[in-house]
Amino acid sequence: MPGPARYLDPAIIARLGTIDLKARTIVEGFLTGLHRSPYKGFSVEFAEYRQYLPGDDLATLDWKVYARSDKHFVKKYEEETNLTCHLLIDVSASMAYASATVTKLQYGSYLAGALAYLMHRQRDSFGLIAFDESVSALLPASARSGHLRLVLLALERLQIGTRTNVAKPLHDLASAVRKRGMVVLISDLLDDPASVLEGLKHFRYRGTDVIVFHILDPYELQFPFEQAARFRDMETEEEVAAVPGSVREDYQQNMQDLIAFYQRELGLAGIDYCRLETSQPLELGLMSYLMTRRRVL
Amino acid sequence: MFGVSFLSPLFLVAAVAAAIPILLHLFHRKTEVVIDFPAVRLLKRAPVQQHRRRRLRELILLALRVVALVLLALSFARPYFAGAVAPESAALTVIAVDQSMSLSAPSQIDRARDAALRAVDAAPSSQALALVTFADAATVAVEPTTDRGAVRAAINQIAPQPRGTRYRSALARASELIGARDGRVVMVTDLQQSGWDANDEGGLPDGVDIDIAAVAPPTGNLAVTSAERRDRRVIATVQNYGNAEAKTTVRLVMGGNTLAETDLTIAPLAAADVELTATLPRTGQAEVRLDDRIGYQLDNTRTVSLEPLSATPVAVIVADPTGASGGLYIERALNVAGGGREFRVDVIDGAPLATWAQDDLNRRAVVFVLGTRTLGRAGRELLKTYLAGGGHVFIALGPMVDVGTLADVLGVAVGASADPVRTPGATMVATDGRHPIFRPFLNPSGALGDVQVDQYRRLNDQQGRIVLARFSGGDAALTEQAVGEGRLMIYTSDLDNEWSRFPLNPAFVPFAVETARYLARGEKTGERSAGFEARESNPAATTAEEFTNAIDRTNRTNLIDAGQAARDVEDQQRWWQVGLLIMLGALAGEALIGRRAT
Repeated sequence: MPGPARYLDPAIIARLGTIDLKARTIVEGFLTGLHRSPYKGFSVEFAEYRQYLPGDDLATLDWKVYARSDKHFVKKYEEETNLTCHLLIDVSASMAYASATVTKLQYGSYLAGALAYLMHRQRDSFGLIAFDESVSALLPASARSGHLRLVLLALERLQIGTRTNVAKPLHDLASAVRKRGMVVLISDLLDDPASVLEGLKHFRYRGTDVIVFHILDPYELQFPFEQAARFRDMETEEEVAAVPGSVREDYQQNMQDLIAFYQRELGLAGIDYCRLETSQPLELGLMSYLMTRRRVL
Repeated sequence: MFGVSFLSPLFLVAAVAAAIPILLHLFHRKTEVVIDFPAVRLLKRAPVQQHRRRRLRELILLALRVVALVLLALSFARPYFAGAVAPESAALTVIAVDQSMSLSAPSQIDRARDAALRAVDAAPSSQALALVTFADAATVAVEPTTDRGAVRAAINQIAPQPRGTRYRSALARASELIGARDGRVVMVTDLQQSGWDANDEGGLPDGVDIDIAAVAPPTGNLAVTSAERRDRRVIATVQNYGNAEAKTTVRLVMGGNTLAETDLTIAPLAAADVELTATLPRTGQAEVRLDDRIGYQLDNTRTVSLEPLSATPVAVIVADPTGASGGLYIERALNVAGGGREFRVDVIDGAPLATWAQDDLNRRAVVFVLGTRTLGRAGRELLKTYLAGGGHVFIALGPMVDVGTLADVLGVAVGASADPVRTPGATMVATDGRHPIFRPFLNPSGALGDVQVDQYRRLNDQQGRIVLARFSGGDAALTEQAVGEGRLMIYTSDLDNEWSRFPLNPAFVPFAVETARYLARGEKTGERSAGFEARESNPAATTAEEFTNAIDRTNRTNLIDAGQAARDVEDQQRWWQVGLLIMLGALAGEALIGRRAT
């Protein structure tokens, strides 16, 4: 992972200091890469002209101005400020799982922090809601300059909760959100899929766009265990004794069925679904967000 | 009840090794990994019963391993089912029940069975029981067991047998059964005195208690002690062993028909000859029967062959090469018996005896040996073989007998003094007046007391030798003993009128004839053996104390290995082989299942 993109590696991000630094590093790294991408210049709008200086991208030259004035000017853009985004992060016990150094909650908080930073740069209004069975932390959406710090501080202080009940906070929040905007759900979705789906559809009924980041640990996908063991549910503490070699195939199929269910049903409901593994770069998450944002705007 | 015992129980300690796989299993279970996992709900939908199947398989593997180790230890411990042999460690009570002819008086065997059953009930439940039945030989009817029912059933099967009594054989058998463990013997018997007379060995180990359950003998007994045909007559001898005069009816029965019958009155402790005259066929068998309501029933009948008798061949060996006087008196005495037809007597010097073939000597029903000084090596060997092979020898230890070579002649050490004891005028007294040899002297009594002897040889006391008569000084005059298959009678003085005037005494002829008849008994007289000797009909009994004192005590270290019976049983059962086979099967199963599990 050469260049700035290496800062999107969750393992490297985890070694950085505060969530503020992490978020900035992620976003700056992402945006640096974005200049070379076909998405250049999107999501920003014109602010002013400035005289061309050597080194400026020729693509930013305003040829019409040059035709009229015979001078070289480049266009300057600034971010929009007309989107309200709610970051919903699942802090249930299952999010504490980590097969490597980064737990799903850490990964989700990095993602939420990066998104918040990105939103801040784009002058979007954003808020943060942490939940397990119920809402455990709530920062209403705001675009004020100090709000980013509050959000990042809240992310820094997230505590693992108990059992997941995604549906209930979603219903509560869907009822509370009045302004049309965007909801970003960061969760492992280890709840009753039908209930989760109903909760997310509730947002769609109210015209809110939703993007779901399905955070999974690689071990949850691969189930690479070898030794027979008792597997204890991190939320219910229920234990199931199993020989991995015997149950792996069925487990993987069950997981794929779950993912396929979310992909299919969320897609039908007009909800963006992005599956992220905690070993994957956060770039994918940011890219998915920007894609959704562009559609919303 | 059946139980399992072990020849080498120490190997059972090795069964502790069976704990190893169990501990490993438990340790493995304790260290089983518990993994916190978020998607257990998806895992539950997977077929986790595979694990249960594996657990089951692990348990089966564990069981097979434990079974294999336990079986290995068990096999080395050499197990056997002690249904036939009680555990060696268990104390043993041996119930020895007398079933000789002398238990055939009315209700006597019932009382013996009751006494034996009481002994079963009285035995502590922790002790094993064994049942020995005996007459002239002892049989283990029930091997040491804790199954009281089996012992009771065997006791109820006991019936009197037409056999003599030999207590020592029963004691020897009980000793073998008890072996080295704690034991007790309950002897159910009529305490018949003659049961100690037989020439055999047997006693009880030190420390083994004996309880006597006495079965009272009858107050009297009548017995037909002999019967033989003489022309148109059958001469039977009836003995009254009671202390009161007895009356009875004697019948000659053939094919269910009574051919002759006569009433008889017999004085106490006396014998009487009965002549039963009838028209007798030349062949066949008849029975002499008498009525006896109180005495033994099995001696009330005697079978007699009606075949014409041939003379009984008798040899008299002397040391008189001239043939002048050696054996003269005994030859003359025997030649008058049966009108001169009962015995055919050959007198031969020791030297020419060497020319005889063994069969020539074996054909003689009785051999009288009056001199050995001229016997050569071949002659001595002939006599020894004859006696050991079942011959009947009467030897008179007179001056012509070389005491130094007697052991070579008879095959047994006689223990006679080389020099004679000089006691001029010593008289001879029968120690058992009812012995068949002394039958003619009982009535009138005292005739034998007229015999005077000047010199005789002194005999050592020897076990198994019965003294039939003694001299007035107490030394043995006439003895009887078994040698090999044969019988040996020793007269310690002379029968050639050298050391005594016995041959000139009127008692000599009946003595010689009855002695020859007694030794030739059953062979040439046409009388079938009754299976027991005449003394078995004598109900004279000892006391329990005398009986107990007569038992020889032996050192336990000299006993047959007590575990031999158990080893024999284990060797027959060979359960260790079965154990090893099952163990191999368990290991094969373990390997198979273990391979499938990996």
